[in-house]
Amino acid sequence: MAANRDGSSAIPEVLQGTNIPVILIVAALIVGVAALLPLVQTSLATSTGGNVSRLEQLREDWQARLHEQELRVAGLGSLDRIESEAKVRLKMVAPDSVTYLSVDAPAPAQHRLPSRYLPDEKDPVESGSLWGDLFGWVPLP
Amino acid sequence: MGKRRFTEVWRVWAVVAAIVLATFVVTLRLVQLQIVDHARYAADARLIHYGRDTLADRRGALLDRNGYPLAASESGFNVMVEQRTWEDPAKARAAADSLAEITDVPADEMLGIVRDAEAFEIPVARGLDYAQGVAVRELGLAGVRLLESSRRTYPEGNLAAQLLGFVGQENSGLTGLEIDLDSILGGNPGQVTYERDGLGNQLAFGDRSEIPPQPGANVVLSIDRYVQRLAEQELDRAIGDNGAEGGTIIVIQPETGQVLAMASRPTFDVTKPDLSDNSKQALFRNRAITDTYEPGSVFKLITAAAALDLGLVSPGTWWYDEGVVHVSDWSIYNWDHSANGSQTVQQILSKSLNTGAAYLANLCGSANFYDYVERFGFGVTSDSGLSGEVDGRVRTPDNDPTGWREVDMATNSFGQGIAVTPLQMAMAVAAIANDGVLMKPQLVNEIVGPLGTQVVEPQAVRQVMSPESARTLLDMMGVVVDGVSTAYVDVSGYEVGGKTGTANIATENGGYKPDAYISSFIGVAPLDDPEIVVLVKIDEPEDVPWGTVVAGPAFSRLAEQALAYMKVPPAQQALVAGLQD
Repeated sequence: MAANRDGSSAIPEVLQGTNIPVILIVAALIVGVAALLPLVQTSLATSTGGNVSRLEQLREDWQARLHEQELRVAGLGSLDRIESEAKVRLKMVAPDSVTYLSVDAPAPAQHRLPSRYLPDEKDPVESGSLWGDLFGWVPLP
Repeated sequence: MGKRRFTEVWRVWAVVAAIVLATFVVTLRLVQLQIVDHARYAADARLIHYGRDTLADRRGALLDRNGYPLAASESGFNVMVEQRTWEDPAKARAAADSLAEITDVPADEMLGIVRDAEAFEIPVARGLDYAQGVAVRELGLAGVRLLESSRRTYPEGNLAAQLLGFVGQENSGLTGLEIDLDSILGGNPGQVTYERDGLGNQLAFGDRSEIPPQPGANVVLSIDRYVQRLAEQELDRAIGDNGAEGGTIIVIQPETGQVLAMASRPTFDVTKPDLSDNSKQALFRNRAITDTYEPGSVFKLITAAAALDLGLVSPGTWWYDEGVVHVSDWSIYNWDHSANGSQTVQQILSKSLNTGAAYLANLCGSANFYDYVERFGFGVTSDSGLSGEVDGRVRTPDNDPTGWREVDMATNSFGQGIAVTPLQMAMAVAAIANDGVLMKPQLVNEIVGPLGTQVVEPQAVRQVMSPESARTLLDMMGVVVDGVSTAYVDVSGYEVGGKTGTANIATENGGYKPDAYISSFIGVAPLDDPEIVVLVKIDEPEDVPWGTVVAGPAFSRLAEQALAYMKVPPAQQALVAGLQD
């Protein structure tokens, strides 16, 4: 260890009496760990990105299968298929004559558009009065 | 010493000059690369480093009036191949063979597409279904990826093929409603730009920008799939029974002008339209709006409407039929060359007398007669919104003062020398059935988009004739049907009205096609409160040409089934039993 002419050491007081190699090793370890952190972070982010991408793919697959099923349902409800089922499987035949009966009952409801083709119904936004908005928090009966 | 020093200095300067020159050349090259050709190289780099895909959301569906899909889209896939990954012929052949087994596209065709491609990446197979897409993905071929797209499918098969039309490879409408409603059905495509690796795959942390696509709206048509199917079945049967070339059936709801069915023959396979054969492209057109014809005696309804509404005649007004009417140098005869003596106006319609129609038109005068013709919507498009709709042709003293002759009005009065579309004719009679109010033909009832539903309201065009005159004419149509044999026109349980028509087919040179006719029947049912107007038009029947025989039965069968389906109560006398709850 070198000493100054006034007898003081060149090593800072806080480090005096400490083993320098140990300090260097610790510092190197800290630097190493610090350098590893972004690597680990990048690796994690990459694998997370991969997972997100896989899940997106999965979602698209399910969406595609859903659309396919919707159209399969539509195909099953097609007039050609209904007629074929009626004639072939249920052995139904067209009537020779039609008899009209007068029935004292309300007519059945009209067909509605299937909900899958309607836009999502949004909850109506409640618009209270100004006083209601101001004092709504007061626990009045 | 001096010489040596000079040599050394020269060498130094030579080195300096070489360095300066090299620097200058390098600088010039840098200027060329980074300034002069910057845009080109930047574009090339972007092409390699960045991928760009068009994102398309699902195309909206075309639904019938009750919500049943007539044309809808399902998710599909396009197979994209990066050209440079198929540069090795052996590898390319192996990959193409693998893809060919799944995609139904021949391997040679795929290799040809990639070989001729100028783009970085090119689709080699389109419209794969879900199962095919999964199979391609599982192959894991380098430089091959799936791009999501959509496929148009038709749950009801070829129903209303010409009306609906079809889409092209890029999912844009090519014909019919698919092209007319393209902006509504197609939505707005989005776009994604991303940084990619050497294999063309997206980099996890690369640049990425995305403009999300807007989905298309579903369109609810006025078409009823059941009535449409009835119309097509009856049209096919009428054509088959009479050995005809083709035909058209239109079903209109008179009160709203909504088109319940619009069928034409010959037709095509909408699921596999053949675009390669130009001769088959005529099959794609919707003949109900693109083709005109001379309506024949059906047009006598318009002539009678004018005379009745002007108060010139009533159904019981007498007139003497000599069997011939002379106009200028022309003689007009009845279709059967009969001379019927004293006849009423009702009998002009019932017996379909050409001479009587000419008499009524003459009574109205040309100005009034053509005023009514135009008020009924002839000579201009019906504004249906369908592309390809034609005006038809009505020659009047106003629009053709030199060409129009007096005899034109006489022949026009019984539907000759005038060209109309089937839709115009159906809408005109629908106006008679709607208390004299002409409606705009309506094909779209609702547009159901992501932001809400837009309901299309029926639109009245004008009051053509008074409700009283319309009612009188409607009753006269009922009497016309009463005079027709029930073997041809009989709608069980309902009172109906109608008029037959048999017309020659005009040729391009101004004459008529020999021994060729168009037979038609237009009917209204039920007569007391009309719910449907049906036009049946059969082109070139083989044997008899008469509208009653050829088109009448198709009307009867269609109307009977359609009214029962629509829950229209039959006439009181048809009710055979009463039930109380």
